[in-house]
Amino acid sequence: MAKIGTAQNGSSVHNGSSNGHGAADRYSIDGLRAMVRPGEIHSALYTDPAIFELEIERIFHRSWVYIGHESEVPNGGDYRLRSIGRQPVMMVRGADGVVRVLMNRCRHRGAIVCETESGNEKIFRCWFHGWTYDTTGRLMSISLPDGYGEDFDMKAHSLSPAPRVGNYRGFMFASIGTDGPSLTEYLGEASKMIDLLIDSSPTREIEVDAGCNKTVYNGNWKMVGMDGYHPNFVHASAVEMWQRKADTGMGATHRSNPFGNKTSTVTRSLGHGHAMLDLRKQRLEHYEDYEPFLRSLPGGPEFIDAIIARDGEDAGRRLIASAGDPHVGIFPNMQIIHNQVRIITPLAPGKTEVFMFPVLLKGVSAQINAQRLRQHESFYGPASAGSPDDAEIFERTQRGMMAQVDPWLDISRGIHREYVDTDGTIVGHATDEVPQREQIRQWLKMMTGDEAESSAALSA
Amino acid sequence: MEDLQLIRAVERFLYREADLMDSHRYDDWFALWDEELRYWVPCNADDIDPARQVSLIYDNRGQLEDRLYRLKGRHAHAQRPRSRLMRAISNVIVESADSEIVKARSQFVLGEVRLDRQIVWLGRSLHTLVRRGDNFMIREKTVLLLNNDAPMGNLTFLI
Repeated sequence: MAKIGTAQNGSSVHNGSSNGHGAADRYSIDGLRAMVRPGEIHSALYTDPAIFELEIERIFHRSWVYIGHESEVPNGGDYRLRSIGRQPVMMVRGADGVVRVLMNRCRHRGAIVCETESGNEKIFRCWFHGWTYDTTGRLMSISLPDGYGEDFDMKAHSLSPAPRVGNYRGFMFASIGTDGPSLTEYLGEASKMIDLLIDSSPTREIEVDAGCNKTVYNGNWKMVGMDGYHPNFVHASAVEMWQRKADTGMGATHRSNPFGNKTSTVTRSLGHGHAMLDLRKQRLEHYEDYEPFLRSLPGGPEFIDAIIARDGEDAGRRLIASAGDPHVGIFPNMQIIHNQVRIITPLAPGKTEVFMFPVLLKGVSAQINAQRLRQHESFYGPASAGSPDDAEIFERTQRGMMAQVDPWLDISRGIHREYVDTDGTIVGHATDEVPQREQIRQWLKMMTGDEAESSAALSA
Repeated sequence: MEDLQLIRAVERFLYREADLMDSHRYDDWFALWDEELRYWVPCNADDIDPARQVSLIYDNRGQLEDRLYRLKGRHAHAQRPRSRLMRAISNVIVESADSEIVKARSQFVLGEVRLDRQIVWLGRSLHTLVRRGDNFMIREKTVLLLNNDAPMGNLTFLI
């Protein structure tokens, strides 16, 4: 591994000139690589505007990113405005029933052709000069067409589709990059975690159309990750609140601390930057605590019976215990945590939006879905018992990192005890920083374009 | 004239509620609520169906109690330091009144200062009040935030 910028002084990356390298070197392949050491990363990854620009270009405008779920656009003409990194796109179901991801940019002189966040349209009209497109993106008409010659090619002026679009069981992903792994290959082991959510519905169908809690915090996008070390501190107030009501749904799963020293929860990295807090075993141990609560809800017994009839006693119990929560982060912008799917959008080195979309299950009672919403609201969203404390700590971190005397962040926790599981995933204790290392491993790979060096960079 | 007296009484009640919220007097504020209560802050739009759509807050008595219990503790980081709050209540309209229930609508401008940042929140409150002698208790309160469809930061104080 190149050792540029790794002089004895811990702040060598910042003081590039002192060891013979100019400031520009910091952003070279070797410079970026020097910001990642075994168990340590340089805080410039979170604070430097130039690195942020490189992340947008090399990660968000190249990787597969999550756009939305098919169920958000059930009918022809339904659309949602989203983004790929900084680029505005629309996820739209065409009159032909196909869900597309189209760049929201008129092919004439560049204005967006759709300005409201969601809705249904028969056509998309650019109000700059009146060009109109149908719901498949085809250019239908140009105002005052006499101004264009006979050889003007209407077909070549359709709304541009995202270069690559993939659909995994209803979850739509897109990529600005024209090459790279297929979506299936990219998701890899993480696709099984998406399955865990979908299969928790008796009909294996979900609906991601229950609205959205939109949050924003003044911190870097990479902070909102899978972290089993933080709950006892960041969420001390919520843990205390649940423990005094141990018979409620949330309380039941906290009778033994899922992030305590003796927990059976593990951290698991799934490759390509994807990682999870694997609560499956811990939840199964508490099946007997959780099941009566679920059974007490209207439609609860039918729900339980339907899953067990479909999957058998063992697999059914595992699925019910997990309650559709894989607790997984899919690099770079998607998370599935508890009852929600999240989209993470980086706005600036120190500013990030997190949109939280609660998921409803098909084939269950209205009361069970209402309960899913109430559970979500209790811990997530701007007025809840959880997310605002996360955001507060991210903001404190962003402020703290401005102290640059020793600019390295320690992500070494558990590096000595992590192990490779039979399926090739890397496993650590619930509180270990396996997910942080996985995220940075993929970060470095995409930022430097070098797979082998990046995989080795974080190892002990 | 009777009408004016009722409006004055409702205003007095709402001003007192505003004071308690501004000064984080959680127990005193909780004491304003009726036994069977609903505290609702819709998300994304004002007219959503809370059984199918996510809210910002949709509390019954137990959930509201949890919320206040947490805020009173020492580890609710998003309120360390606390938001300093000052709100003006206006446009108070009594929408309906009978011998038991009074429904009122009002608007607020709420200034929040925390960590040197000042944020202005605006919204409309819909109160369903139960008459208790000369006073009221809150049975239902719905807060329609003007920005309920926009990304927002910390909303862990009382609105």
